Amino acid sequence: MTGPEPLTPQGAAGDPRADMRAAADALAGPAGTAAGRMTSDLSIDEELVLHSIGWEPVELVSGTSMHSVPVGVWTWGQGEIGHASAAYARSFAGAVQRLHDACAHAGGHGVVGVHVEWAVERHHVDVTLVGTAVRPVGATGLGTEPVFLSDLSGRDFTLLRSAGWTPLGLAAGASFVYAPRRSMGAAMQQSGQNIELTNYTEAMYAAREAAMERMQTAALGLGGTGVVEVKVTEGPMEFARHAVGFTAYGTVVRLLPGGHRNLGAQMVLPLDDPVVSFDAASLRGR
Amino acid sequence: MTVPAEEPGQLPEAALRRLDEGAFTSGLTVPDFAACLQMGLEPVGFVQGYCVMQWQWYGAAAMGGGFGYQWGGVRGYSETFNCPHGMISAEHRSWGQNYEQSWIEDAWASGFTTGLERMIDEATAMGAHGVVGVVDTSAPLSDLGVVEFKVQGTAVRVDDGPRPADGRPWTTYLAGQRLAKLVEAGYAPVAIAAAVSSVGVWANCITQYLTEGAGSMYGGATPGAEIVQTVKAQTAARQLATEQIRRQLGSDSLHGASLTTSRRELGEGDSTVECTLRGNRVRRFKDFDPMPAPRPTVRLL
Repeated sequence: MTGPEPLTPQGAAGDPRADMRAAADALAGPAGTAAGRMTSDLSIDEELVLHSIGWEPVELVSGTSMHSVPVGVWTWGQGEIGHASAAYARSFAGAVQRLHDACAHAGGHGVVGVHVEWAVERHHVDVTLVGTAVRPVGATGLGTEPVFLSDLSGRDFTLLRSAGWTPLGLAAGASFVYAPRRSMGAAMQQSGQNIELTNYTEAMYAAREAAMERMQTAALGLGGTGVVEVKVTEGPMEFARHAVGFTAYGTVVRLLPGGHRNLGAQMVLPLDDPVVSFDAASLRGR
Repeated sequence: MTVPAEEPGQLPEAALRRLDEGAFTSGLTVPDFAACLQMGLEPVGFVQGYCVMQWQWYGAAAMGGGFGYQWGGVRGYSETFNCPHGMISAEHRSWGQNYEQSWIEDAWASGFTTGLERMIDEATAMGAHGVVGVVDTSAPLSDLGVVEFKVQGTAVRVDDGPRPADGRPWTTYLAGQRLAKLVEAGYAPVAIAAAVSSVGVWANCITQYLTEGAGSMYGGATPGAEIVQTVKAQTAARQLATEQIRRQLGSDSLHGASLTTSRRELGEGDSTVECTLRGNRVRRFKDFDPMPAPRPTVRLL
């Protein structure tokens, strides 16, 4: 009995069996002493796609900063909680500066795929940035352009560059605003009614406008035309119900001198199932 | 069943019996399995290594020598932060220190390495060339202070391929198409690489005030200032983990890493910072083939 005709891969770029054999042969020999080792948290797809436009990973880099928020600022006040907003701004700027330095030190021209971890606690604001420094393949020393930082993935970086844009840096803005308590009279008058609580609405508006304005100012400061993939959080603080916060950060981009290029995307109709990747959970029947 | 003996290569009897039975087992999904076959990797068995450790992370037991810790025996990083005020009172934290908690690092490394070596022993016994799709976890088991380290993967053989240089199977967290792409890109998987670093922060007065949101009535701590001691501890923890990995790498590269840091506040500005770095140690065996710029597409679903 013979099975069905084997599927023949058509137009496959390489020969995976030969590649695996060559890899096994390399592992059977002594370890090389080749310089130019790298560390990276990019996936193989990201690395390949970066390589297709002539970039390569250099080193995993990070930067962190943490600023104190004075005691008592979250309760009983009016207007913006300046200490908290400033702690966020300083921590973000501090972490950016250190990531920048680490990238330059590693010989990178920029950092892609930056993971932004941040936390606003009652008494301090923490920001940590981790990403992979990249450079044009084989480049030595610093580039002519300033070091860029971006929380976009390798894929997004490639798309952006192909479309004639370049990332410049991370811009962030945050504002924490005190939502004043209503007067006793107002609270009693409004009790039992479905009515807008203008103190909260106004505080949210104030926080959002200030935060977005700060992010925009930071973007202009970097010479950018805009900010993409902005992530925002908003709402009351967990530890202070009468304070609301709005935070925003994203990657600042600028159009390169050649102008925008159309990507000319092709329509495809995929015939495959969703990709199932190797997953630890699948071992445990979950 | 017997517990794996201390000397490597000696497997539990039940494991030996299972490995001898002939059919292969694998933790791979069907697409991953297909990708393995396509690149000439033949699965030979699902291999595993376990190690349950008594684990005293914090507190007196660790300080008192739970893992061979001695004052004066602190390895590596330590940095002292003096108080700018001079003698104020007995309660005043007149000095602070960041110190590498090498006993925690060693305990983690010991549990992880033992689990990994036991898995590799199984793979070696099967005559495997490598282990793909490795999963490693460490989680509390049954009781406080008991941690189970688990390392599992699928052992494979390279069709007509040579054994690795020292007979020791290579390992990788990757499997399936991701592994195929890695190899096609010119990287040979060498080993999984993982390290944990731990730094303790014994706060000085400034760090204590700032972490509690206070200023100092004696000066030296401006409200809203950077908490330098804790920032330095975090930076040091990441550096220590990176250095550990670099020592494992030799002249190879680290691919697909993940770097995570966690911080636990212990009150009065004290804290402990832990950093985990994992990734695939890979060796370049050929240059990148020049790849054409990928063609952008839009999916019609």
